[in-house]
Amino acid sequence: MQEYQRRSGVRVNVVYDTEETKSTGLANRLLAEKPRPQADVFWSNEPVRTVVLKSRGVLAAYQSPAAQGIASTFKDPDGYWTGFSARLRVIVYNTTKVKPEEAPRSIFDLADPRWKGQVAIADPRFGSTSFHVAALYAEVGDERADDYFRKLKANEVKIVDGNSVVRDMVARGDVAVGLTDTDDVNVAIEAKQPVAMMLPDRDGIGVPVMPNMVSLVAGAPHQDEGKRLIDYLLSAEVERKLAESEAVQIPLHADVPGPKNIPPISSFKAMTLDYAKAAARVEDVTKRLATILGL
Amino acid sequence: MWGWRSSRTVITLTAAAVFVVVCVLPLLFMLWAALAEPRHTVSGIQGLLLDRRQVRLLYNTVLLGCGTAVLATLVGAPLGFGLAKFTLPFKSVLRLALVAPAVLPPYVIALALIYVGGNLASTLGGAIVALTIVFYPLAMLATEVAARQIEPRLEEAAILVATPGRVLRRITWPLVAPSVVSAAMVIFVLAISEFSVPGLLRVRVFTTEVFTAFAALYDFGRATMLAIPLLMVSVVLASVAAARLGSRVVTTRRHARGEPLEVFDQWRSVALALISCAIVTMLIVPVAVLAREALRSVSIVGVVRDSREAVINSLFLAFWGATVVTMLAVCLGYARARAPVKVGVTVDALWLILFTVPSTVIGIGLIGVWNRPTAFGLYGTSAMLVLGYLARFVPIGGLAMAATIRSVPESHEEAAAVAGARWARTMTRIVLPQIRIGVLAVWAISFMLAFGEVGTSILVAPPGESTLPIRVYTLTANAPPGQVAALALFQSIVIFVPLTLLGMAMATREAS
Repeated sequence: MQEYQRRSGVRVNVVYDTEETKSTGLANRLLAEKPRPQADVFWSNEPVRTVVLKSRGVLAAYQSPAAQGIASTFKDPDGYWTGFSARLRVIVYNTTKVKPEEAPRSIFDLADPRWKGQVAIADPRFGSTSFHVAALYAEVGDERADDYFRKLKANEVKIVDGNSVVRDMVARGDVAVGLTDTDDVNVAIEAKQPVAMMLPDRDGIGVPVMPNMVSLVAGAPHQDEGKRLIDYLLSAEVERKLAESEAVQIPLHADVPGPKNIPPISSFKAMTLDYAKAAARVEDVTKRLATILGL
Repeated sequence: MWGWRSSRTVITLTAAAVFVVVCVLPLLFMLWAALAEPRHTVSGIQGLLLDRRQVRLLYNTVLLGCGTAVLATLVGAPLGFGLAKFTLPFKSVLRLALVAPAVLPPYVIALALIYVGGNLASTLGGAIVALTIVFYPLAMLATEVAARQIEPRLEEAAILVATPGRVLRRITWPLVAPSVVSAAMVIFVLAISEFSVPGLLRVRVFTTEVFTAFAALYDFGRATMLAIPLLMVSVVLASVAAARLGSRVVTTRRHARGEPLEVFDQWRSVALALISCAIVTMLIVPVAVLAREALRSVSIVGVVRDSREAVINSLFLAFWGATVVTMLAVCLGYARARAPVKVGVTVDALWLILFTVPSTVIGIGLIGVWNRPTAFGLYGTSAMLVLGYLARFVPIGGLAMAATIRSVPESHEEAAAVAGARWARTMTRIVLPQIRIGVLAVWAISFMLAFGEVGTSILVAPPGESTLPIRVYTLTANAPPGQVAALALFQSIVIFVPLTLLGMAMATREAS
């Protein structure tokens, strides 16, 4: 943002969000401000909130010329959002407790009694985990997904406050394995903590890919400046910077080199996702899981 | 002096109008918006509030409130008794240390509890312990005030024919019991309206359900409706508390009546041991745990330096927030103190209810009320944070101020009026000098509460600005635990400064 301000001469006032398990945050603010919008651009690090805001009429369509190099899978057909710089949902495991060849290779392995009491996940009603479980329901169907979460519950899965907590629990050895995001695992790997990641279901239903999403706000007070900022965020240059950062985001422009520690998307099977379809399941899935997992 | 053209009427009505606009309108806006939804018919609301899940939540919520109220009273009441009845070395310092946990943001205590107890902390019991640490000072202060107000001759006469234990049971306890019970009720209300502790410790209660309705389902109407049981429980308990305590729902002024009695002096060592134990357990251990985590991985100086802008912003906004809260609280507290008993009790209940409203409901309500062209251009500026502080803390400031002003006899004002003084002169020359410590206390409490406020601030903070609590909460998501602990510790240190100043002022007053 500082770089953009320096180059463009446009001052950007940023409102940051906390993890959803800790505050009601930006999406609610944008919804409350809808009658008189204050923001120009919404940048979310996962798809659910963006799709919810689209469905509530908070966003406007804008197809950025900077997104030409990004695959159509990561773009809303109507132009209400554009994906860039993705993260993956991965299994993190403690390397002192689990050998690489013994690490679970599918999220369905986590329901195996072998991992009883040894699995942690973030609250599936919030954040990237809510996206992951909604995508799972959309992918495998309600019956199989319900059954999976019942088995996880029977396996005494530990549901914690966020993906970073999952990572910390695994790093400390409180549990052997967990589900989290690539950026969280990378922080621990860089800190030389005893963790490694496994891309789940790369041979099965595929690895869930979560792009950042950027959108123009409907009725934005500074439409033109907002579009220019979106063009900048979708540029290959920003993707490169995000790949090089601690967040290790995977570029969606084909010609941008990827981050270290994370394999490129072309090297594994990604989960085939209709982001809108997955996000549309969030409310129903949230209520199902509240019952199944006793949240 | 209450004529329409009197300065007293004009000032108190103006304060009341500001109170309605800032504190009441956001809640009315949310209720109106929720009730306007077609699904919220009578049967729809019944279905929402009375299904098995909600009944279970109500059970958990009441259990959390009762557990906290009972435990905080069991801890606080003996400490208050000890402070009131024994000559102790450095009593002001001890009192200050015992009150300190009440001004720490509750999530800081919960964070320390997680570091100590690990998974054991994430239970209903853990939440009760964390909230007990935060709220026991209320029970302690209420007990101390009540015990100091007991006519010494009653206990002195009794000790001639009875043992200290019997005097305690038959004389002292019956006289302090109404205050202790009422303080327990206030603690209950505060515990059931608290979100950050059950949220962090993953305990399912109504506040977390309201949060889920906002954060996971983006459903304002459902969230507002789910807050109704909280408000109803608060209505009942606030009414009972106000009725039982009469003019002392919150008391900030202690009445010294001579030297502490020697009636219970054989228990002095026990009291000192209990107080020392409480200070270690409730204050030193949590702060030490945070310090250990902070020093483990990061430099506190570095963390503070990175947050300098947020710290300066927080100090500036909390200063102005506390100042305006105190000004309004003085005006409203005066009106309540001089109101007829029934009106006063109703106002006390209203203030307690408003204090129970979840911070997110207030935040969304503030956006609804103030994000419009006719709202003086305040939306999108730092003034919204100050308005958020007013909406949240004027009710508790008004309660405390009213209790203080009630200790000033009306006859003083009548005498001034007979001598020809106008009301403004009477206030500045007669009333305010007598309540200056109370005013200072309300300012300090408001400052500390505003400095730690997160739930409303995060929704109304202007673009490009942040406060320290928002920064701490944001970092909690992804930063290393040491950095989070360092920020929480720093936040605690900043909050302790006004508390210490207040304690020094009160100690000076006590000595004089």
